[in-house]
Amino acid sequence: MSNYRILGVYNNEDKLLSSIHKIQESGITIHDVITPYPIHEVIEALKLKTRLPVVAFISAIFALFGTGGFLYWTSVVNYPLVFGGKPQNTLSFIIVIFVMLINVTAVVTILSFFIRDRKGPGAVPYLDYKGISDDRYVIVVDGKINTNEQVVSDLLKREGAVEVAQIGVPETKANH
Amino acid sequence: MYDKTIRGVLIKGDKTYGQITSEILAPQERKAPMWWFAFMTLFTIGLAFGVYSMYVTVTQGIGTWGLNNSLGWGWDIINFVWWIGIGHAGTAFSIFLLILRQRWRTSINRAAEAMTVVAVLCAGLYPMIHMGRIWNAFFIMPYPNSRGPLWVNFNSPLFWDVVAISTYLMASATFWYIGMIPDLASVRDRATSKIKKAIYGFLSFGWMGSARSWLRFETTALILGGLTAPLVIAVHSIVSMDFATSVMAGWHTTVFPPYFVVGAIFSGFAMVLTLMIIIRKVFKFQDFVTDGHIDAIGRILTFVSLIMGTAYSTEIFMAWYSGAEGEIYTFFHNRIAGDHTKAFWTMVSCNAIIPQLFWFKKIRKNLTMVFIISIIINIGMWFERYVIIVTSLTKDYLPSNWATYRPTIIEIGIYAGTLSIFGLGVLLFIRYIPMMAMSELKMILKPTSKK
Repeated sequence: MSNYRILGVYNNEDKLLSSIHKIQESGITIHDVITPYPIHEVIEALKLKTRLPVVAFISAIFALFGTGGFLYWTSVVNYPLVFGGKPQNTLSFIIVIFVMLINVTAVVTILSFFIRDRKGPGAVPYLDYKGISDDRYVIVVDGKINTNEQVVSDLLKREGAVEVAQIGVPETKANH
Repeated sequence: MYDKTIRGVLIKGDKTYGQITSEILAPQERKAPMWWFAFMTLFTIGLAFGVYSMYVTVTQGIGTWGLNNSLGWGWDIINFVWWIGIGHAGTAFSIFLLILRQRWRTSINRAAEAMTVVAVLCAGLYPMIHMGRIWNAFFIMPYPNSRGPLWVNFNSPLFWDVVAISTYLMASATFWYIGMIPDLASVRDRATSKIKKAIYGFLSFGWMGSARSWLRFETTALILGGLTAPLVIAVHSIVSMDFATSVMAGWHTTVFPPYFVVGAIFSGFAMVLTLMIIIRKVFKFQDFVTDGHIDAIGRILTFVSLIMGTAYSTEIFMAWYSGAEGEIYTFFHNRIAGDHTKAFWTMVSCNAIIPQLFWFKKIRKNLTMVFIISIIINIGMWFERYVIIVTSLTKDYLPSNWATYRPTIIEIGIYAGTLSIFGLGVLLFIRYIPMMAMSELKMILKPTSKK
């Protein structure tokens, strides 16, 4: 049987939050929570973490030494020019290094965000539910892990979901 | 914590989340009004004039401008610096307020960032055509070439400009676009026509709003913000070094970098104010752009105007205190008095004196007055660049070099062209892109606006 997901649709932020806690207490794993705007309590409840700052830091270090090395190589090693005895390896390189650090870090961070989050021109969301980008909140529970479908739907309804629905997930598409 | 009783309600009318979406997207979902087409036509004519002028410049050369041996920089660099200054607002506004966690930025940041992107595009045009042989523009990039390889001068502010402005354009455009993705998804989800759904589906990069995406989204925005904030300061400092590292009287001062950065923020905030008042009036967005928002920008402008006044006085004081004849001549006999008196005093009154009216609450509450002052500031900031460039260059150290400067119709045409590009950009923005960051408005709704 192909996998499916159970959706609990809410129209109230507070009910959504209390519902997330109740679902987690009863041992059901939440696959995803979809909200029209960032809610930090949801992110905390799902214990989500991101390593994007690490990526940014590493790329910044790379850019720092990359640009510094390039400037040193061009101005001191490859084609040294003498301007009235001024030093070839100058402090003013800092400016280009600084700007390039920002440039490279920004590009790498943005690309990592898109790649990690599978976003890009032509990407299609797995759920197209009316109002999820407007004023509806959706708790998505994976059907395969939580086999007792009835318990999940009942719980969602009891916690104030305005609608409980199911969607199928094609086997080939990995989660999200 | 945000205190409504002190700072006022940010989104008026006790709105629901659904109302925010439908009210902000309403102008896009209606048919385009007549005035929109009228202005599109007007700006397209302006653009045609600009394109013609640029064509003449590129095919016949810089000789078609009013420049001469003494005055190598004219309207092109004046307008370049002016546009760059305006282009600083969006990012300054959006990012500084993001880092300072100022929640009132949310209804204005989108428009400010859009303005930034278009203004920086306009600015970038000037150095390109100023080079004369635009087909050789790639010479400014450090690439392995057959001339040695002779690398570009990494110690020249002109090269720093190339790096900084292109980085700035890239960073501000992506920052703007990433912030827009969730809202484009809202447009996609509400679209009724298939074509619209497909286009916005493509543009919204498959956004759905899952908690993981939001976490990554916010982290990326904060990292980009943290990176771009110092970049804002770097870009305009570098632009000021184009002047300050020369030996021209009136340019060769250490106050230039902060003076230019503050000036840029000043003109940018004024332009944001101009635009937001128009958008508020035309689309009846007074619930989102409240009097409180206008008041806050007015207060910032008062403060920045004081810094401008200080910068002007510092320059004059240092010219006198240095005892250098060239400096004294430039400031006292060529700016305060002399041939360029009018431009100098326009600059001082528009930037340092008139904005002081914002001290009065009555003026800050009067939308018409605020609008007029915001335009006056932009005119004043244009004259600031005019004063800096033209007064210093027309009368340099050698009196036999002295020359006058008048812009030709071609230079005026290019300026009209960039103004039209800006106008077209703004018109397309208000027609096809959600004018306010809806997801961010929804985020601040509960803590700042609910009873």
